[in-house]
Amino acid sequence: MNKTISVKRYVPDNAAESYWQAFELPVDDSTSLLDALNHIKEQLDSTLSYRWSCRMAICGSCGVMVNGIPKLGCKTFLRDYDGEIRIEPLAHFPVQRDLVVDMEIFLEHLAAVKPYLIDDDPVKPFDPQAPETYRQSPAQLARYKQFANCINCGLCYSACPQFGLNPEFRGPAAIALAHRYNQDSRDHGKKQRMAELNRHEGVWSCTFVGFCSKVCPKHVDPAAAVNQGKVEAAKHTLIALFKGDEMNGEGKAHE
Amino acid sequence: MSKQAMSKPGSPQAASHQQAFDEPLWWGLFSAGGVCFAVLLPAVILFIGVLLPLGLLPADALSYERATALLFSVPGFLFVGAVVCLPLFHAAHRLRHGLFDISVGRDGFNKKLMYGAAALLSMLALGLVVAGMLS
Repeated sequence: MNKTISVKRYVPDNAAESYWQAFELPVDDSTSLLDALNHIKEQLDSTLSYRWSCRMAICGSCGVMVNGIPKLGCKTFLRDYDGEIRIEPLAHFPVQRDLVVDMEIFLEHLAAVKPYLIDDDPVKPFDPQAPETYRQSPAQLARYKQFANCINCGLCYSACPQFGLNPEFRGPAAIALAHRYNQDSRDHGKKQRMAELNRHEGVWSCTFVGFCSKVCPKHVDPAAAVNQGKVEAAKHTLIALFKGDEMNGEGKAHE
Repeated sequence: MSKQAMSKPGSPQAASHQQAFDEPLWWGLFSAGGVCFAVLLPAVILFIGVLLPLGLLPADALSYERATALLFSVPGFLFVGAVVCLPLFHAAHRLRHGLFDISVGRDGFNKKLMYGAAALLSMLALGLVVAGMLS
């Protein structure tokens, strides 16, 4: 059985404008969109550019727009599409070539929320002779586990209309990961992250559209993380108001 | 990006750590207003807007004397706060973000306009209740 997919091409060496190109290819029930793109690259047009690596929804490289919805190519099967299949690069990111986008701004947002364990004040000093591991109960793990499944594919940024309007918005994945570390019992970096989240471009740019959680291939539910982050940011503000410090976020917490 | 960013003007560095200390207030009023909108307003509309005009309530349920006695009291003050003022702030928040979504106006101005209008109308509503209580 053959199906036709249309790919939005952008090859800056040849043409200043993007254009649509249709490819007809054989598909069966197990043909993923990534398989189709590989078939095009190998058999039909070797100039097509796209990113991919693992084929199993763990590397987060192959995100594209499928009929206007952000999806992972490897997790999308052509058997689910009867009519037209239009493939575009991820929305809201600058396009470099064909389906390859520049994700630099997402990486900046990610770095800004310090998505790693911060433990400036460990219970015991680290002893290389007798290193101790952190202890964590299943209940403590359950508090953040869901938000730890993010693979940084960026689909939620393409789904977020607020990121589309204002690319300075830290965005769903970065805020979900900030929340993941804030919820981690081993972490002590919440104060530093709250100064980042409690900005107009932090949690407060979110209007709870919720499409980020719908498109997330790992069911992270960033919309829930962002809105729990609003509660935390409100608490942070109240505490800061009563203590009368750190309101500008440029105090001790930010060096 | 030509779209108006929600950040305040200034150098990127100065704006980068600017805390949105007003947003928790607007969001808190928005949340409280949403609860009141969803829980109280349908009941209010049912009683005052449907059952009363249809004559399904006792004739003197909201007679002038009874209505003024109910409204111009501390519970009446709280009632107006819950069914008028908080929903006003809820609506103002939605309108402000809706205007940003369709790129109308500047967010800083829309904020003042929307929350200002909600505050003025709230003060008017509560002021009328207080005036009634004092007269």
